Amino acid sequence: MRNEPSRRTFVGGSLALALGGTSTLLTPLAARAQTTDRAAQKKQMAETVDTAKFKKAGPYTIGVAAGYMSNSWVVFCLQHIRWEASQHKDVKDVIVTDASFNPGKQVADIEDLISKNVSLIIYWPVDEKAIQPALEKAVAKGIPTINAGGGFTYSNGTVSNAFIDQYALGEMVAQHFAADLGGKGKVFAMLPIAGTTAAVDQLAALKDVLAKHKGIELLSAEHGDWNRAKAKQITENLLQRYPKIDGVYSPAGQMSMGVVEAFEEAGRAKNLVMSPGDEYNGWMKWVVKNKKGGAVTFPTRAGQEATKLGLRILAGQPVPRGLVIPSQYIAPAEAAKYAEMDKPDDWWASNLPANFKPKA
Amino acid sequence: MGATVRDVLGRWAIVLVFALLYGVAVLLSDAFLEPVYVGNILRQAAPVGIAAIGTTLVMILGAVDLSIGAIISFSAVFCAVMMQGEAGNIGIAVAATLVVAAAFGAINGALNLASPGSSFILTLGSALALYGLTQLYSGGTARGIVSPGFREFFNHRLGDVLPVLALAMLAIAAVMEIVLRTTRFGRQIYLIGSNREAARLSGLPVAAVTFACYVVSGLFAGLGGIAVLARSGVSSTFVGRGFEFDALAAIVLGGTVFRGGRGTVVGTVAGTLVLFIAFNLVNILGFNYNLQLVLKGTIIIVASAGYAWLGRDR
Repeated sequence: MRNEPSRRTFVGGSLALALGGTSTLLTPLAARAQTTDRAAQKKQMAETVDTAKFKKAGPYTIGVAAGYMSNSWVVFCLQHIRWEASQHKDVKDVIVTDASFNPGKQVADIEDLISKNVSLIIYWPVDEKAIQPALEKAVAKGIPTINAGGGFTYSNGTVSNAFIDQYALGEMVAQHFAADLGGKGKVFAMLPIAGTTAAVDQLAALKDVLAKHKGIELLSAEHGDWNRAKAKQITENLLQRYPKIDGVYSPAGQMSMGVVEAFEEAGRAKNLVMSPGDEYNGWMKWVVKNKKGGAVTFPTRAGQEATKLGLRILAGQPVPRGLVIPSQYIAPAEAAKYAEMDKPDDWWASNLPANFKPKA
Repeated sequence: MGATVRDVLGRWAIVLVFALLYGVAVLLSDAFLEPVYVGNILRQAAPVGIAAIGTTLVMILGAVDLSIGAIISFSAVFCAVMMQGEAGNIGIAVAATLVVAAAFGAINGALNLASPGSSFILTLGSALALYGLTQLYSGGTARGIVSPGFREFFNHRLGDVLPVLALAMLAIAAVMEIVLRTTRFGRQIYLIGSNREAARLSGLPVAAVTFACYVVSGLFAGLGGIAVLARSGVSSTFVGRGFEFDALAAIVLGGTVFRGGRGTVVGTVAGTLVLFIAFNLVNILGFNYNLQLVLKGTIIIVASAGYAWLGRDR
């Protein structure tokens, strides 16, 4: 799941906010390590869902229950939903609710969407467990539910998932990283919020890959919480602690930017090997300029795939429980095709047509 | 212990704590002796530190401003949008950001005058509204492109050591300390904070001073937003979230009391540095990040207990 710093709840969390970066304390339970028995999970993902009971004729109204909207990844994800919807004549409307990190509100939002009799609910969770009863209610009323938040949920309330496999992504990043390092060197890892599936799976993938590259030493695994400033601060300290750092494993481009800035300011960026980040525009611009690093994508078209899945379900076609949206490697030489140099850093490379791109 | 000794201790305790913590830091890691690293810490502290300086005025008045995190977030996004990646836009972007931030401060000031005595709730309300406005304005992505030259200027190290941003914080602190100590405005803030009713009866411009303090707090939060943008760019529309509490912690550590009438800008800056040195120390020693939170909480609790002890019998 792609959630970033703002994952903290707001009003209720103000005391916790007093502590500054308390994200780990407030990480929703659902996002915590559903530590992956990968074999079992793969079996769950491959299940075929019988969708006969959801079959209905158009016109359709798509309900989107957003856990939050204050994050560029989900903004792009939502635009993909709108884009895909616009290509189907039988979709007459897309209704969006925003729970702004409040699980209680997301429950109410889902109940509202049910009472508005939407045909389909696409959601990304704040706290997966908290909204399950509401999602189950939707399913009981014949409204299919699809998780488009980047992660995989296996439960009665979630009919299907369009998601990104964090382990596979981490593995691809780690393999390119190890190759770029030439199989040796001292490195550290910059990971998302501690305890999230993303952080756990990405680190597991790194360790598995490093087991085959004994020449690479993992000095430390840090959590920059998808926050550029925090990643920079942590890196500044690591630069003090370790006189020699050859590379950094950082699958999230947002944090990679904070990392490289700290190296550049310390005058130690020259021979630094950065792992691929993702297709976050700020990072892609850096890759274009520096001709190294590359990217392994965390596709925002999860929203589009979720919409397609939903329409298949409404047509009564069987679908998989989990549809993996494969991450793709972008070599530094190809980065220029994806980077939008005149667009903000907080932006994602995508195939969205111009009229569906967010305002810049 | 006589009241005077306690008075002096109460006023300068944070400087002692700062010196002590720094000494411990040096013993544990010689990084703290490296000027470049010290420059780093000062630069890390600058966004919170600058915003906290403005809020110190409001706190001395006996009020509080919880909206500065929201103003920092808005200012950072707004300033980048105004720049549009053109070097020629930097001046106008910075000026416009400061005007807007001061205007938010003015709204807070007006609200507090219209409904005095509940600055906590009023500024919590304006923080919520402003976070909402930031989302509406930005559409959820940190729009805007930072102009070339802007970040390079603020991150430039004078003499290869002291970043401009760090110097800016120290210079602002010096100016504001002088304003508080030597100007009529400064003295009025202390008098109003000590006893609002007495100040009113003796003809002090209570409303005007209160209003002005909120404007200053908003303005400095705007500067804080610009400082965040300069230090690390912005990759979120919530970049300043939580800063209000870091700032409050720094201010209280620095000896400014919630009931008003006491406090210094020097104390606030020292309080900010104590917080940041503590984080960096935990980090550089390789301890878990969550230990930073434990340490931060402990420092705040111990400091406030210490001040309560120093302040009793008074």
